[in-house]
Amino acid sequence: MKRLPAILGYGAAVLTIAAAVVGPLFWFGVFTRAAATTALRIDPIYSGGEPARTLARDGYQIVVYKPVPKRSPLSPSGAFVQIVWTPASKLPSAISEPLDLDGNGRPDCVVSFQVPRDPKAKLQVTVEPLTALVLPMHQVSDDSFSSLIARVNDTVVVRVPLR
Amino acid sequence: MPDQARSIVLAPPRGIGRSLLLTLPIALFTLLLFTPVLRQPGLPAKLAALIAWGFMLTLFFLMMRTRETYRWRRIFFITLAFMFPIGFIWDLIALRSSMSIPIEKMISGDTPFCFMVIPILLIPAALTKTLIFPGSILPTPSNPHSIAMMVALWLLATVVLGKAWCSYGCFFGGLDEGFSSVAKKARLRKINPQWRLVPWAILVAVVLLSAATYEPIYCMWLCPFKAVTEFPAVRSVQTGLQFGIFIALFLGLVVVLPYLTKRRTQCAFFCPFGAFQSIFSRTSIFDIRIDKEKCAAGCVLCQNHCPTLSIDKDSIQAGKTLSTCTRCGACVDVCRKDAAVWHIKGTPVGLSPERARLLYLYAAWVFASMFGGSIIANALQKLIGLLV
Repeated sequence: MKRLPAILGYGAAVLTIAAAVVGPLFWFGVFTRAAATTALRIDPIYSGGEPARTLARDGYQIVVYKPVPKRSPLSPSGAFVQIVWTPASKLPSAISEPLDLDGNGRPDCVVSFQVPRDPKAKLQVTVEPLTALVLPMHQVSDDSFSSLIARVNDTVVVRVPLR
Repeated sequence: MPDQARSIVLAPPRGIGRSLLLTLPIALFTLLLFTPVLRQPGLPAKLAALIAWGFMLTLFFLMMRTRETYRWRRIFFITLAFMFPIGFIWDLIALRSSMSIPIEKMISGDTPFCFMVIPILLIPAALTKTLIFPGSILPTPSNPHSIAMMVALWLLATVVLGKAWCSYGCFFGGLDEGFSSVAKKARLRKINPQWRLVPWAILVAVVLLSAATYEPIYCMWLCPFKAVTEFPAVRSVQTGLQFGIFIALFLGLVVVLPYLTKRRTQCAFFCPFGAFQSIFSRTSIFDIRIDKEKCAAGCVLCQNHCPTLSIDKDSIQAGKTLSTCTRCGACVDVCRKDAAVWHIKGTPVGLSPERARLLYLYAAWVFASMFGGSIIANALQKLIGLLV
């Protein structure tokens, strides 16, 4: 009976080597495919959440996302709504647009920013609240995840802070 | 004659032919591994793959020939840790002309994922099904280091290596091991063993704080290796403070303290991922045991040479190393009585320790070549590209 644990031990050692040799051939593909089927998502603080509706404009679109609530009382990032202008290359040189953020048909704020032709130029956004839902922003660049304007690939992303 | 582990003092070298024969399986596997790189166009890629392949093979051959583990593993591990930032920073500079990561790259999911974040993700993932990291779950052209790929890699490493990840897989640990190897003698000898509890405290703190704030607190505030990889762009007082902390922790824990103590101070007294990985220490089939019958009372050479303080008098009495043992092999190589031995669970201690070492090294070196070898080849390719 003393030999059985030893046999099992050596068997497990050989299996460990086999896992090291064969694992890289299929494991990454299997795991990645499995990960794609789970309900796991990047937290909306970083991803911006899910799109709610798309507004068509002349040559470009505005995608308004669902509001992202403050994730926890201790979270330094507050509630916000992400708005994406796409494609950035088709935008006029200045944007100033009243936007409905909560989908009730009435504009909640006016978002204004310049669109420099240089894609590396720093962007700044001003948000004037029209309802109590929205917090103001004045010439904000990228203060925090819940209050920013940034050029991401060929889009301009604005995050408007909410109360 | 029983096949026993030999210390560097007593063991005669293995014959060259036998050592080559024992190296052959690794040679064939790594050839298979490096073949796609060898087929890449351009001299730098081919040359880098050849050098990395030769490097990994030579070290394994020397492990076979000399029967020593620690010295040759350490060369690999330090090389890996110094090469990783070269390749990583090079790619960052090429991609965005800076080591700093701007917020737009974070919100577009282009932050490369690091295994250090894994324990931090668990509670928010379980409670809200969201991952609190500004990366991408699946690989993308702009971010191949996705969360799924790195978690898959970590799971494989945990099955194959367990806690030995900290000696064969981690691409940071070799930095403090490197600086701990510089001085001939330790300037700071007395270290309170209570310091070993600090990584556990940091682990608990960062896991809970990250779950409470929905931010990867360790990455944002405490990771010493941000100083040599990437960090949030310094655009405010907060990001300036973060950058200062990264630099101070790197200099203190990775450079100065290892130099003064000759221990891996960041790994032993700070790293929360190391503590997390210690949970899986016992799941590995390979471990190191201390044969109490052979152990000379009061010698404590193993205790004095352990880079992570994973052996103490109590553990010697118990015939085991602590759960923080990274299987680096320092204790086995230094023991003059062949009392510290490689061991496979289920087998009698000291029966065939060299066989246990060989089986362990095959598993560990296959992983090291696959992961670390490719990192070394990548960095070498960049450096050779500079020259030719």
